[in-house]
Amino acid sequence: MLLELSEEHKEHLAFLPQVDSAVVAEFGRIAVEFLRRGANPKIYESAARKLNVSSDTVQHGVEGLTYLLTESSKLMISELDFQDSVFVLGFSEELNKLLLQLYLDNRKEIRTILSELAPSLPSYHNLEWRLDVQLASRSLRQQIKPAVTIKLHLNQNGDHNTKVLQTDPATLLHLVQQLEQALEEMKTNHCRRVVRNIK
Amino acid sequence: MELSESVQKGFQMLADPGSFDSNAFTLLLRAAFQSLLDAQADEAVLDHPDLKHIDPVVLKHCHAAAATYILEAGKHRADKSTLRYRIYLNIHLFSNTNLMISISVLKMETELWLFFFLSSSTYLEDCKFDRERIELFCTEYQNNKNSLEILLGSIGRSLPHVTDVSWRLEYQIKTNQLHRMYRPAYLVTLSVQNTDSPSYPEISFSCSMEQLQDLVGKLKDASKSLERATQL
Repeated sequence: MLLELSEEHKEHLAFLPQVDSAVVAEFGRIAVEFLRRGANPKIYESAARKLNVSSDTVQHGVEGLTYLLTESSKLMISELDFQDSVFVLGFSEELNKLLLQLYLDNRKEIRTILSELAPSLPSYHNLEWRLDVQLASRSLRQQIKPAVTIKLHLNQNGDHNTKVLQTDPATLLHLVQQLEQALEEMKTNHCRRVVRNIK
Repeated sequence: MELSESVQKGFQMLADPGSFDSNAFTLLLRAAFQSLLDAQADEAVLDHPDLKHIDPVVLKHCHAAAATYILEAGKHRADKSTLRYRIYLNIHLFSNTNLMISISVLKMETELWLFFFLSSSTYLEDCKFDRERIELFCTEYQNNKNSLEILLGSIGRSLPHVTDVSWRLEYQIKTNQLHRMYRPAYLVTLSVQNTDSPSYPEISFSCSMEQLQDLVGKLKDASKSLERATQL
């Protein structure tokens, strides 16, 4: 699958051959940092001064590079496809190799960052448990009522929240049985066939 | 068992054969148990033809007294002998206005046994009249003891209680931000019951296979330690 690059995108990337490879590598680093932490206009300004071009040009260059990397990572295109897509830009052999290397080195991390953008539910983080026995209450003395107290740690969009819950021994065994069945499902033929065939 | 004067008076009236004959006594007692234990019992529980000849105010007072007595006995898990003894004390010891014994004395059982034997023989004679009623009360109480204890045990506040779990296994293919994901994920939902209004009826979370294995491992540890505790 080839990447379709718009005209504007090609224009922005046209800045790259005008600088030497060390600078392109630096731009690559800035691009990944941009994905990790967001834009930093000061860096654009200092780079623009050093290279003697407007900061807009630098910004467009970095953004173009960022978009190239994210689209490639998102679609998980092969090396060959990447090379063919970039070939359209008419860059030198050396620059193409540099861009490919940049893509391959950062692909995994970019995919992790992109996966955080997906709609998500609270996800499991940790579980703590404690065994308790209720001996008496205001309305009834001399009881023996076992219970398991559970603290469930969940993560949602970076916030960590905890829920304290309780259950009785019978329900605990039921929970364990049900969730073990859930794990077993992944090993059935049906699931294995699906995993094998959807690639 | 600490009971107010009003309750004790009501109970004494109940024991008096002049106010309540045998049949009425039994009916009122059964009505008291029914209104406590039967979830659908309504106010008509006292509307029995055999109770019509009794003043409704007295009827209500005695019904309330009997119900309070039953609850107190249930709360303290009174057994048959304790019950017999305490009913006897409440009916007889307090009906004689010459004796001034405070409620705190009731708690010192050994001293009271002593008092009981030293007191006049009229008490022992009197008790013959009401032995039948005491036995009746104890029998009714025994019959309803389990339901009563279950009812009392279910009252009270506790943490949100997990009642069930449901899960969903999915295979993630792509999102609009990320194509070619190809990984399995689980969505687990815990059904939770709250003693107050249903504040969080359900807790849902997603997890990967490894995370679910971790969760199941921890729950299995908990159930193993539960088993070990029961064997100690």
